[in-house]
Amino acid sequence: MTSTLWAPEHRGPLTVTDDFLVLDDPAEQQAFTRPAEPGETACESVLMVQGMYCAACADTVESALAPLPGVLEARVHAATRRLVLRWDPGATQLSRLARAVGEAGYRLLPMAQALSVDQRLKETRQALWRLFVAGFCMMQVMMYAWPAYVAAPGDIPADIDQLLRWASWVLSLPVVFFASGPFFRSAWSDLKRGRVGMDTPVSIGILVTFLASSAATFDPTGPWGHEVWFDSLTMFVFFLLGGRYLEFKARDRTAGALDALMNRLPETCERELADGRLERVSVRRLAVGDVVLLPAGQAFPGDGVLLSERATVDEALLTGESRPVERTAGESLVAGSFNLGGPVRLRLSGLGQDTRFGQIVRLMEQASTEKPRLALLADRIAAPFLVLVLLAAAMAGLAWWQVEPARALGVAVAVLIVTCPCALSLATPAAMLAAAGRLARGGVLVRRLQAFETLAGIDTVVFDKTGTLTLDRLGLQALVVRPGADRSATLNLAAALAQGSLHPASRAVVSAREADALASGEPLPALVDRTEQAGRGMQARTPDGRTLRLGSAAFALAGTVAQDDGQPPEAPRVWLADDQGWLATLVLSEVLRDDARAAVQALQALGVRCWLLSGDRQAAARQVAGRLGIDRVVAQASPERKLDELGGWQRAGHCIAMVGDGLNDGPVLARADTSFALGHAAPLAQAQSDYVIQSGQLMDVVHTLVLARATLRTVRQNLVWAALYNAVCVPLALVGWMPPWLAGVGMAASSLLVIGNALRLSRP
Amino acid sequence: MDILYLLIPLSILVVFGVIALFWWALQGGQFDNIEREGERILRND
Repeated sequence: MTSTLWAPEHRGPLTVTDDFLVLDDPAEQQAFTRPAEPGETACESVLMVQGMYCAACADTVESALAPLPGVLEARVHAATRRLVLRWDPGATQLSRLARAVGEAGYRLLPMAQALSVDQRLKETRQALWRLFVAGFCMMQVMMYAWPAYVAAPGDIPADIDQLLRWASWVLSLPVVFFASGPFFRSAWSDLKRGRVGMDTPVSIGILVTFLASSAATFDPTGPWGHEVWFDSLTMFVFFLLGGRYLEFKARDRTAGALDALMNRLPETCERELADGRLERVSVRRLAVGDVVLLPAGQAFPGDGVLLSERATVDEALLTGESRPVERTAGESLVAGSFNLGGPVRLRLSGLGQDTRFGQIVRLMEQASTEKPRLALLADRIAAPFLVLVLLAAAMAGLAWWQVEPARALGVAVAVLIVTCPCALSLATPAAMLAAAGRLARGGVLVRRLQAFETLAGIDTVVFDKTGTLTLDRLGLQALVVRPGADRSATLNLAAALAQGSLHPASRAVVSAREADALASGEPLPALVDRTEQAGRGMQARTPDGRTLRLGSAAFALAGTVAQDDGQPPEAPRVWLADDQGWLATLVLSEVLRDDARAAVQALQALGVRCWLLSGDRQAAARQVAGRLGIDRVVAQASPERKLDELGGWQRAGHCIAMVGDGLNDGPVLARADTSFALGHAAPLAQAQSDYVIQSGQLMDVVHTLVLARATLRTVRQNLVWAALYNAVCVPLALVGWMPPWLAGVGMAASSLLVIGNALRLSRP
Repeated sequence: MDILYLLIPLSILVVFGVIALFWWALQGGQFDNIEREGERILRND
């Protein structure tokens, strides 16, 4: 993507440790695989590629697959991140292919809606086909109509004029009877339900114009007058179809991005067989009554009854209560909640759609297809407005019938066409879809279109600290060494001691040494007799006999005094000492995300307050806030306290966007006016936020906010334009100053203007 | 002007011919992914 706003990067490999074997399960495969040709052994699978950010990625995935045995064809669609794979089940396995793609840095997920993708492709083709038929016929009809517009009366012989009319009539047939099909169908279904929809006046307009023009063609002296409007008719249909096609494409693109969020690798779990042995099966294969064994950290695949003595579960998704809950044998467990304790046995009592989790997923899916409130409002206004339009057209026709019967029909058709509130109903969804599509391409998934409206109105962004503003590790803030000691040599000594230890402080020392250009240029000194005392520190000897200790003050310094390092007393530290006592103090601090400072500053420049809401200690939270320029900090907040604080701020009149990543942020994310979850966030946190930032870049919050404001601006422009247009054109049409062709141009132009204005949002 | 009696019906036939040609291209999948040819420039080979 050529984009200046987004900086798409290639991510490192996603989890290649996934259990891809589940892809080989025929029960799983039937959802996204089918025989390529009837009777052939080759299969065609539709899969979702995760971790793709640009067109070149598509190529990487394809070339990772192409040389593998058994792969017949691999095609990746960059915009929608879909892979269509033709492969030979006799020669390879899907899990092997998925692993190869995983090694290339991407993840293959089955598309649960593979068959609906097929459907979507068919619909796209059909829409394009109708558009082309209408467009090409329109061009030719225009050419036949051209002489009538430019010639002086009497210039065209009557027989040629009649020939041109017949030709126009023939080419209008496919436009009316094929290309306009969707309008008639939707108008008919509205009619059956006793409603007036957007397509009702459109259909009446098309039919009346066509019938009147046909009558004028074949019976020029009849009661229908001599006028033909084939050119207006075909143009009207073409522009209308063009608008729908653009809207359809925008929706398709956005849907592709949403699929990525909804599709997750199906999990496997261990099922107990009758003889007590365990077998690993796909979750989809489980049946009610099965006994399954779940390790700690996994989500329950279905509702069930606990067979083990006790279990600790996290039901935050269902209850909003993120504190672990204790369950004892015989009590029921709900699908989607997490097992936090040891392995648990349970007997399944409900699966899939029947569980409460299934209902929540359905709600999420509904949310993604819901109409934004502004669009609903427009639709509500549109329905009575349409009735008015029909009445106005009929009245205008009747009135003109009294005055000048020859023009009555023309006026009625012009009123019908010019007032069609397509622009009004397109104004909001077109803009929001375009914005959602742009965000999706930049790696931000929008889960509720509604959220744009809220986000544009926020005045405060509240950040979680750990994992959101900071990375989940420590870094070296300052290094103070004994006078006379060499800085990089000392750092190397500390790193040599720390190497191999899993303590966060040790890892910080090792990575600080790797990041230091001077120190990492030299080899690590060799040490002997290295021992680690858990929670205290490491000890070792250099080959020349010096004893080194790295760790807490009590352990390392052994009574000697360290030089003052000038850092705040609450910062975490490790000390290094040798036989002469104190050698160095390493002051550690949390590592801020690269763009945390820039994001906070950009938000403040946009007039949005930034606050910090953290469960961590006061000192740590204040320190991070100070480094970032955040002025309001609430620390040591339990999930309940976080909710209380947030509720208090909201009652005080603040409109709040929450940015978080942890499981414990789930409730606040759901409570905030709008919310962002970072891409590495727990699935539950993602499920409860409006935006998911896949890249984990905080600058994306800023970009999304800017785009949300632009979107609302566009929506307002569109609504104002649609209202103005109707206010001006309806009176003109009523008094007969607007011929049907001009009405068609006006209506189509206003719809195209609205869509075009919306599509500006999808351009960087 | 008599030639118009031949040319106009002929133009109708040509229109139907072009539409049929487009039908063939569409069903062959040529329009399924129109960005693809543009993205080929990013390819290594």
